[in-house]
Amino acid sequence: MIFLPLRSPLHEIHVELGAKFTIFAGHEMPLQYTSIRDEHLNVRKNVGLFDVSHMGNVIIEGKDAARLLSLATLEDANRIEKNKGQYTAILREDGTIIDDTIFLHLPDEKYALVPNAGRSEVVTNWLNDVAEKNNLDAKAEDVSREYVILAIQGPKSRDLLRKIIDIDIENMPLFGCDYAKVNGVDCIASRTGYTGELGFELQITPPENSKKVFYDILNVGKEFNVKPIGLGARDTLRLEKCFLLAGNEFEGGRTPLEAGLSWLINWDHDFIGKNALLRQKQDGKYERLTCLECIDKGIPRHSYMVEKNGKIVGKVSSGNISPCLNKGIALAYIKPEYREVGSILDIVIRDKKIRAKVVKPPFVSKDWARENP
Amino acid sequence: MSENIPEDLKYTDTHEWVKMKNEKTVVVGITDHAQKELTDIVFVELPPVGKEFKKGEEMCIVESIKSVSEIYAPVSGKIVAVNKELEDSPEKINSSPYSEGWLVEIELSNRDEINSLLDAESYKKLLSK
Repeated sequence: MIFLPLRSPLHEIHVELGAKFTIFAGHEMPLQYTSIRDEHLNVRKNVGLFDVSHMGNVIIEGKDAARLLSLATLEDANRIEKNKGQYTAILREDGTIIDDTIFLHLPDEKYALVPNAGRSEVVTNWLNDVAEKNNLDAKAEDVSREYVILAIQGPKSRDLLRKIIDIDIENMPLFGCDYAKVNGVDCIASRTGYTGELGFELQITPPENSKKVFYDILNVGKEFNVKPIGLGARDTLRLEKCFLLAGNEFEGGRTPLEAGLSWLINWDHDFIGKNALLRQKQDGKYERLTCLECIDKGIPRHSYMVEKNGKIVGKVSSGNISPCLNKGIALAYIKPEYREVGSILDIVIRDKKIRAKVVKPPFVSKDWARENP
Repeated sequence: MSENIPEDLKYTDTHEWVKMKNEKTVVVGITDHAQKELTDIVFVELPPVGKEFKKGEEMCIVESIKSVSEIYAPVSGKIVAVNKELEDSPEKINSSPYSEGWLVEIELSNRDEINSLLDAESYKKLLSK
């Protein structure tokens, strides 16, 4: 049996725009249109448009929808008002992460969940199992194939979107969400993203409608220097901000404590995996995701080992060059006693070792573009 | 996309180019096609001067943002010079693959190997396949 990669409904547009493609989690998506570095810097300094239709869409309905999300995620969903969203994670009983995701509390009581690429079926089945076992009146439906998600990210994203959207995005807070029309096309709009910049995401159904929106954004955005951005820059943009990539940072089963997501845990409610996290927290002897900035020249990459005095102390989960800093940067799982900020560790690259310093996240601050005009 | 394939160079099917510097020394780099495929070259690992390679052995590493690529010795011989400039400016391979972006100079151990390389026309055919 042959598994063909899924193509975005916008595939032909990407071809027309000269994209090179890559396969990511079973989806054939644009890797880059011109250059990853140029696209990256354009998002930091201006604005970029991403087709992220590989991401999932799950709608949760029913009078117990909030109870289901509370039980299945790190957050007490009752705290999240309408028109607001929350970044969180869904855990197994043993505390390891099934997926990290954003849920949006829509104005009509529904919740829209955005799982990672290739994870919506697993997430949907898990949520429905949890609902059934706990007798909750809530149902999750995987509608990933019915939606396209476009992300508009960068300091000029609001100025661009303001021209074509019918809701007040001036006052939309971070993680705010609402139903909206973009030049007449219905969508769910949220102030969310994966770049660390001011940015918005539009969930558009039916998929066909996204073509008009994609072209409209490129046309209206000319005065703001908008560019289409591929997954290559999406990866370096998120890495500079220390955002997690599910396939890399959750590989082999990681808990939110290990993955640096302890700030997301709302301990004041009961959720699946809580007991395991409490035990791990008490024990304390677990590897934690750590930010490494290279001192020597070299590019750290996924699965390179990290050493101290010739002894292995951890492993790189994601690494690359930072287009903003022009230095190698990495996220690595490091044993707790070796990860103090300022510590110098060695990253093993082929037969060489390069020095890297433990730094506080993020690698690139929100003021970078202003300080580097 | 039009490819820049200079007539006076020799090529390999792994996208290295070779230029005769004099009777016993060649200059080696990667082709315009290769740099376009890689884009965003951000790191180059060069061999030590004096090291000897057999034809086809891994000689350098060129890293783009997205990938790590091995560069193979197109001919057997000894490294007599490396392009140190690339350590600080690896992007020169993108901007100038056939001149400022050269990688190494090799002193040939077997001059006949030059004849087994592709000429510009054969390399062009290879790319059009």
